[in-house]
Amino acid sequence: MDAHIRKVYVPMTETGFYILLCLQQQMHGYSIVQKVRELTDGEILISPGTLYGSLSKMEKDGLIRFIREEEKRKIYEITSLGIEVLQKEKARIARLYRTMQEEQE
Amino acid sequence: MKKQKREFRIFTIAEYEQEQEYLRSQHQKGWKLVHLTFPGIYLFEACEKEDVVYQLDYHQEGLGSQETYVNVFKDCGWEYLFDFFGYSYFRKSAASMQGKEEIFCDEASRLAFIGRVFKGRMVPLLILFLLVIIPQIILQLGNLGSDPHRPILYLYLILFAVYAYVFIRFALQYRTLKNRAD
Repeated sequence: MDAHIRKVYVPMTETGFYILLCLQQQMHGYSIVQKVRELTDGEILISPGTLYGSLSKMEKDGLIRFIREEEKRKIYEITSLGIEVLQKEKARIARLYRTMQEEQE
Repeated sequence: MKKQKREFRIFTIAEYEQEQEYLRSQHQKGWKLVHLTFPGIYLFEACEKEDVVYQLDYHQEGLGSQETYVNVFKDCGWEYLFDFFGYSYFRKSAASMQGKEEIFCDEASRLAFIGRVFKGRMVPLLILFLLVIIPQIILQLGNLGSDPHRPILYLYLILFAVYAYVFIRFALQYRTLKNRAD
């Protein structure tokens, strides 16, 4: 993982995190929106401009890759670099959560 | 044929928020946007009065991905209108929204948007400004003695003022977004 990726994606936005999390399975844009709404009980609604911008940027940076087109919708999947970034973020968020719990006691 | 009207408005590159508000207020008064022609002639058609949110995005997509791009918005309930100088126009009725919706849901993506606008629209203007307008003004100032050049100098000075205005508006808008993000 080079310095650019680290700078841009660690830490990443909440939307970015959810997109990578979803793309562990092959998905197109709108199914990511639906999946995130489901996962967060409707709390988080990803907007199309943010979604499209993130997908094109992540594809350019090699975190996800374009698989194929279905009914004029692009299907993407996470790459090994994307998985690496996601693991780093998961570890960071887990530490954040642990610290929060400890501080509460 | 439905009743139509035309209005002339100029919004500079960074004034997309003002433009969105203008289009929304027109729709609230019963005029929906149909078409936009250079340099800023807005064609409206009479419609039911409704609160409809208008939004602008900026992407320079190849022809191949234009359809997949628009479909992401359509799937999310946004109607695609047209492209105008790299800007894509979308609208969605407020009644069909879950709370307040915009096409961007975080400040990071709003900043990325204005970054794309800068690259696509401002950089060419800056190049023109630095390589044509400034050298021409200096050149014309050197020729002040001969009267026939006066109108050309004035023309370039006007262009200088317009450009300076566009740049300042852009810088202010960028600062506003940046402050919101921090």
